[in-house]
Amino acid sequence: MSKEEIVEEEEIIIRNYRTSDYEATLEILQQLHDKYDIGLEEDKWKKSSGLRQFKPNLKRITLIAELKETGEVVGMGMVEAVKNTLGQYIGYLDNWAVKKDYIGKQVGKILAERAVQILSSWGCDSIRINIGYGASDKLIKVFQKAGFNPILTVLEKKLEKDN
Amino acid sequence: MKNPLEEFEELCYVYVLYFDEEKGHIPLIMFPNEDLKEDKSFMRPIKYHPIWFLEMEESEALDHIDLEYKGFTFFGKKFLAKSKREKRRAGLEEETPETIIIIISLPNDLDIFGDELIRQITELIRKKYEEQLYEVIECEIAREEVIKTPKIKQCIKEGQQTKDKIREDIRNTCKQFFSSVITETDSTSIRKQKAISFLSLKGIDVSHIMGDSSFSNIKLFDPTKKAKGEISFKKPLEIMDIHIVEDSNELEILVNNNTDEKFENISVKITHVKEFFEKEIMNQTVEEWYPKEELLFISPIIPHIDEYLFFLVEEENNEKLLSKKIDIELLRKEKV
Repeated sequence: MSKEEIVEEEEIIIRNYRTSDYEATLEILQQLHDKYDIGLEEDKWKKSSGLRQFKPNLKRITLIAELKETGEVVGMGMVEAVKNTLGQYIGYLDNWAVKKDYIGKQVGKILAERAVQILSSWGCDSIRINIGYGASDKLIKVFQKAGFNPILTVLEKKLEKDN
Repeated sequence: MKNPLEEFEELCYVYVLYFDEEKGHIPLIMFPNEDLKEDKSFMRPIKYHPIWFLEMEESEALDHIDLEYKGFTFFGKKFLAKSKREKRRAGLEEETPETIIIIISLPNDLDIFGDELIRQITELIRKKYEEQLYEVIECEIAREEVIKTPKIKQCIKEGQQTKDKIREDIRNTCKQFFSSVITETDSTSIRKQKAISFLSLKGIDVSHIMGDSSFSNIKLFDPTKKAKGEISFKKPLEIMDIHIVEDSNELEILVNNNTDEKFENISVKITHVKEFFEKEIMNQTVEEWYPKEELLFISPIIPHIDEYLFFLVEEENNEKLLSKKIDIELLRKEKV
């Protein structure tokens, strides 16, 4: 398959993360960090980080997009459902990243569609995506097309840790 | 040298008891030796074992209760069995089930084997003899009768036959269990290494572990070698790692589905005990758990609470697939 072409849904397998995906996912996250400085701390992304996780009031799954033909991991995304104080589950799409050569080829879209299905089956009332402050209008429009509208502006203060 | 499997009979004691409303704790079967039944000091840890004081529901939740006494660990489990005995307390009927207690004792150095051994023995007795245990109870009661009519004699005879069968099955289970334990060629678990060393110090021939007849050639501590069959009695769900994340003060428990089957609706519970009350920190359902899939369960660590209980229960039949007591202090020490 030529890397210029759009990846069709039939050409891709969306599956759960396995520990054998660790290297590939780290590489994708590193690429994303190099481009957008997402604050990746490599030692925090462990082999077990992408496994399905269960925490009080939280469920998380990491989806992997794998090319059927070559088995290459070309995208990843974390899907999270968090129970709020009202007992409603809010879905989050996190650490969404596609391998450099596959950006713009609809891999992210295929992943997102599966994520929406999963979050809906988990009983989520809504789904949120955090994007960087000052993100381009173009990017926001892409999300709006998929039904995601801006509702919050999050302000953050970094705290220095005591040594 | 003695047959190592026979030696285990000297290390491991199995007690099957029931609770009589009038007479208290009555031993039905003691394996390997019934002669010590009347020895008060020998029976003291059995009589005062905490398993007697636990409600059935609590006992189910905790899987089993341990008591450490004079260098031995006593593992206790409780369940109900069919009864036809006329009860000696108002409000109890003939059909009111009997409370059966199973206790096994092992030297402290072998306590790592206790969880699995008591599980196997309890499973054996429940599956095979739950409907027949009342015969052994009736037999024990009949023995006390001064005048033994032919009917009483028959009752004793039948009870004794069941008892002999149970004893034989306990013997076989223990033999099988310990032989599977000592065929492990190596284990990276220090506790297991310690337990196997203890067996060798007791003079039990474990030289076949290395396939060498010379005792001195045993390489018990060889962490570079991977175990051939890590655990001979591989559990369907197995804890692969327990890890404390100091930054977030969380406990991470990594569990693998060892089977080729998908589990459905598994309830995950993490609890701790505070001032005698069990408090739930986590209670979630894993709707689908795929074959060979590892799942990560994360629980907050509560300040000043060091002991947690982790359970995986199949919701459909309430069967406990895994339970583990987690000691935070011990984990931190092991890490250092």
